[in-house]
Amino acid sequence: MHSAPFTQPLAPRLLFTAMDKLEKLKILASAAKYDVSCATSGSQRENTGGLGSAVSAGICHSFADDGRCISLLKVLFTNHCIYDCAYCANRRNNDIPRAAFTPEELVDITINFYRRNYIEGLFLSSGVMRNPDYTMARLTKVIKDLRLVHRFNGYIHLKAIPGADDALIREAGLYADRMSVNIEIPSEENLKYLAPEKDYGSVLHPMHLINETQQEYLPVRRYSKPAPKFVPAGQSTQLIIGATPDSDNQVLRLASNLYNENRLKRVYYSGYIHTNTSDSRLPALVAPPLKRENRLYQADWLMRFYEFKVDEIVDDAHPDLDLELDPKLAYALRHPELFPVDIQQADLHTLLRVPGIGPKSARLILSARRYGHVSSYLLKKMGVVMKRARFFITCRALAGRKAPDYQPDHLRMMFLDKSARKLTPDAVQLKLF
Amino acid sequence: MINYQYDGTFPGFLSAVFEVWDRDRFPARIVPPEVAPGLFEETLEVKTADDHADRVWKGIAKAGGKQLCQRFMHVFLSRAPEAEDLMLFILKQLFDSKKNIAGDLSVEAVLKFTQLERKVLREVHRLYMFLRFEQTADGIWFAPVSPKYDVLPMTLNHFKSRFSDQAWLIYDTVRKYGYYYDIKVVEEITIDNPAFEKETGSLPTEAQSEDEQQWQEMWRSYFKHIAIRERANPRLQRQFMPKRFWKHLTEKR
Ligand code: SF4
Repeated sequence: MHSAPFTQPLAPRLLFTAMDKLEKLKILASAAKYDVSCATSGSQRENTGGLGSAVSAGICHSFADDGRCISLLKVLFTNHCIYDCAYCANRRNNDIPRAAFTPEELVDITINFYRRNYIEGLFLSSGVMRNPDYTMARLTKVIKDLRLVHRFNGYIHLKAIPGADDALIREAGLYADRMSVNIEIPSEENLKYLAPEKDYGSVLHPMHLINETQQEYLPVRRYSKPAPKFVPAGQSTQLIIGATPDSDNQVLRLASNLYNENRLKRVYYSGYIHTNTSDSRLPALVAPPLKRENRLYQADWLMRFYEFKVDEIVDDAHPDLDLELDPKLAYALRHPELFPVDIQQADLHTLLRVPGIGPKSARLILSARRYGHVSSYLLKKMGVVMKRARFFITCRALAGRKAPDYQPDHLRMMFLDKSARKLTPDAVQLKLF
Repeated sequence: MINYQYDGTFPGFLSAVFEVWDRDRFPARIVPPEVAPGLFEETLEVKTADDHADRVWKGIAKAGGKQLCQRFMHVFLSRAPEAEDLMLFILKQLFDSKKNIAGDLSVEAVLKFTQLERKVLREVHRLYMFLRFEQTADGIWFAPVSPKYDVLPMTLNHFKSRFSDQAWLIYDTVRKYGYYYDIKVVEEITIDNPAFEKETGSLPTEAQSEDEQQWQEMWRSYFKHIAIRERANPRLQRQFMPKRFWKHLTEKR
């Protein structure tokens, strides 16, 4: 595999610079599309003269043909790469058109898109050109120019290049709202198998560095208001799902660690798309595992917004999520002894465990019941999905059998029917054929 | 039942509230001009009076806080047929029983009030999302919009702070008015003979700046290439980005 010759003829220098912005944009947007994150929340930058502002709630500006939110100009600086990771379309040994922006071009596109309200800002990632330091310095030049020369206050998400010098990463963090390092493969063993030039150490190092530097900046900011910010919107990472045999248990345990220990803001899950078809180390999936990806996101939400611990979602006995059932419902069915809960009495933590009740409606219930009884009619009005919740709660004027009165399997079947009607893309397809 | 019929404006509504308490005759309803009152109902036509409106506005602020005022304005903008009734119901509690029930979601009227407000605020947010500027030949950034509710004024602070160094004009093509910002102040304007297409607001090429077409082409191309073909999902796309916005979207026009 490693002795494979370069199939890419070196482009003559002239031809290369003559490639126009539009061509580059096509290549480098396509090359960036597999990175799933699009969040623009968590950073507030006021407009202090100059252009733009980041609002803390984040704004999506469009939705691509695959239904994903477009909020940032998501591009690679270059898709040239000195590495050869098996799962990556930009790997050295792939014969694909290559391009690289100049910092000026990228700044120009960002500003012009921003002024038209197409985007919230820039999400800049890159293949590794020459070496990590060189690449990191180019990326930093782009965002530094945006901030200092063009006084751009929009949102900037920057990839940290593993292996780059600490000082470079620390400098970049002064201009970025968010930084991320993608782990990609959920276990070190499989990462080494698919990307022999990488290991967890090289990926985790910049993550620790960013986390530590953030902590250093916190006290400074407390004492002087306009103190410099360092990656104010925090870090994120991405895991590829289905390229390796790693279980959901492995994936979610890693995510949970990252949230707790490295204070990550988001972990993204990306269903593997079989692009490098000639590499026998990778599974020949006909379609990306979208259903599994969706279940992982649901499990991730449970950890972040529903006070679930990872052990409550998966463990050695249940290493993989039930694809046919959302993980919260699966949890409730495994624990009939916890239900039904009393809407009038239950605390927030318990309410959050009821299928059909979300964080918003749980809080509405808490505030509404201070004024009196919360009826099932009102619950419905608050957005509680009663079709589910009714089996797990007691409240005034709500009769009927509760979850513990059913055979677990029977209950599961009842919910399967209903969730199959939901519009998950593969469910729709299943129905059609 | 006495119907207080106002002129359909927010100050008009507040003036009607003033009249209701001034005449002190209940039960009362406040109705917009398009409602035809029932055969045996008494209808009073309310004249919009700024000082009356102002007193009611201040009265609400005093009893329930500035934020409650804002909430009434949002719900008013929904133009939902039940909006006036809901607002009057909450105001009665506020003025007569000195109780601010606007936070009590166990009251059905309050819940509906809150939901209407949410709809209006969502429309505001959608303008933040889907508004598109194009640069005109004289350097002004132009954006046509057609929101479901009359919320353009609510978006001005956002656009002013975000695009503070570019002169812009945002125009509501349904209600036929807009706002022009000249890098210093925002002014309301109307355009009698627009150079743009009346409904979609698109500019003819000669009215665009020299490189406008090129940037739009770049954006359309980016839009196309960022999608993952293996995951195409037009249904989801339409759900998040309803078709009614497409006529103003550079990438969907
Ligand atoms: S280093 Fe990054 S860009 Fe290069 S081949 Fe590996 S994953 Fe792809």
